[in-house]
Amino acid sequence: MIEFYHIYKQYVSDQYALTDVSLSVAKGEFIFLTGASGAGKTTLLKLIFKEELPSKGQILIDSININLIPPKQLYLLRRSLGIVFQDFRLLETRTVYENISVPLVVRGEKKSYIDKMVMNALAMVGLTHRKNYIPRHISGGEQQRVAIARAIVGNPKIIIADEPTGNLDTELSIEILKIFERINANGITVLIATHDKFLMNLFPKRILKLENGKLVSDGSKTA
Amino acid sequence: MHLLNTTFQNAFKNIIRNKLINFLCFGIIAFTLLIFGIFNYITFSLETFSQGFAKSITAIFYFKDDIQQDEINLLINKLKESLLVKNVIYTSKNQAETNFSRDFKDLKYILSEFKESPFPASISVEFKAEYKFGTQIIALIEDIEKLNIIEGKQVNIDWAKKIIAFKRFISAVGMFLSLILIFVSSFIIFNVIKINIFYRKDEIHVLKLVGATDWYIKFPFIIEGAILGFFGSVLACGLLLVTLKLFPVYAAFMFKYVKGMIDLKNIPTGIFTQLILLGTGIGLFSSYFSALRFLKD
Repeated sequence: MIEFYHIYKQYVSDQYALTDVSLSVAKGEFIFLTGASGAGKTTLLKLIFKEELPSKGQILIDSININLIPPKQLYLLRRSLGIVFQDFRLLETRTVYENISVPLVVRGEKKSYIDKMVMNALAMVGLTHRKNYIPRHISGGEQQRVAIARAIVGNPKIIIADEPTGNLDTELSIEILKIFERINANGITVLIATHDKFLMNLFPKRILKLENGKLVSDGSKTA
Repeated sequence: MHLLNTTFQNAFKNIIRNKLINFLCFGIIAFTLLIFGIFNYITFSLETFSQGFAKSITAIFYFKDDIQQDEINLLINKLKESLLVKNVIYTSKNQAETNFSRDFKDLKYILSEFKESPFPASISVEFKAEYKFGTQIIALIEDIEKLNIIEGKQVNIDWAKKIIAFKRFISAVGMFLSLILIFVSSFIIFNVIKINIFYRKDEIHVLKLVGATDWYIKFPFIIEGAILGFFGSVLACGLLLVTLKLFPVYAAFMFKYVKGMIDLKNIPTGIFTQLILLGTGIGLFSSYFSALRFLKD
């Protein structure tokens, strides 16, 4: 599903954010990507949705070399992904419903289809009762659930989450991880960047560990 | 269709959301287009006025005594072929004498002093009223006057020359000002769209990440520019109409001659269409270039 071949990423000369990273993620896997701040977790995720380009190496998603996707076709790649951020990145002036519907609206889907899919996503994250609220009127945990609903509403193949529990307390973090597990149970590949060892222990999954831009371990336990 | 509706709705919402800067832009566009409209209208009125003067132009050319009838006939035929000329009436020397005797009976005795008619042969040239070429008529009159068979002419074209020169001056000033104002409007819209893009950069980022196409993101900004231009020009049309309705009140007291030249009763709708098309066009192109410049992949 996701394949990295000898990926290097250099932002400034002589400093590599990622060095010779090779990895493979199978369809339907649930993976934690861990490492200290500055280890290269966010860079690795950004390479998947092509917000950054690798300095060297090749990335394949569904056997397609994403380096070769022209900018005009990038939206096709992104429609197959669901992205969740630590800071939620919700549209402040739009309601929960409108925020979740954005991926479908940009595809020009019919209103009836959008309605059905948004209500499904809301039910999945348990926020049906909040659909008419605007983001600043709901809690941080709920905002993150809205972001997750937005990520899943378009039926993505892969969910990428960058520190999705970074701004949440433990209880809410567990709740969010449970939602990701439910999403994963539907066959969607989930890749979560986190440095929360407690959560990784609580949800034993495959863990990829980065250190100074290098992939130092790939296993099912925290290093 | 749904996507197009959403785009227009978003464009309107975005204008309202960032209302201060957008309404400021809207006002400036209206003002600049009003100036353009006023100059355009004055030019149009002077054009109409200078067309009107052609109705009254009849030039009389007097021939030299020693020229052959063939040469006169040649000139008459050439003039009749001209698109500018409505009619040419030839008056021979004898006919001129007869006319004088008929028109000035009391002075008829003077003619007995002359062996032959003292009056030169002449042609009276009437110019077509529907032609809007005061300049060409003047040029033709001057060309005829230069011919070596012509002794002199009787026509006063100085005032017409002045009107045409004035019209040219107003057109040039109008054109110059309009170009500057169009540039200013374009520059303002370009920068307002730039500000709108930066104001919504987080939203644009989210849209990109959820798979919006390049055009889905750019289009609302382009529409926003067109909306600003369109409504700016509609406001300019309203202001122009008010200006033209109020102007006669001042004109009656202050600018009697100008009032005569500018037709304030029949306001041509073409000017308003022109303003709206121009305003929308400026908005559309400025925002297109702004979106192209500031919404790179």
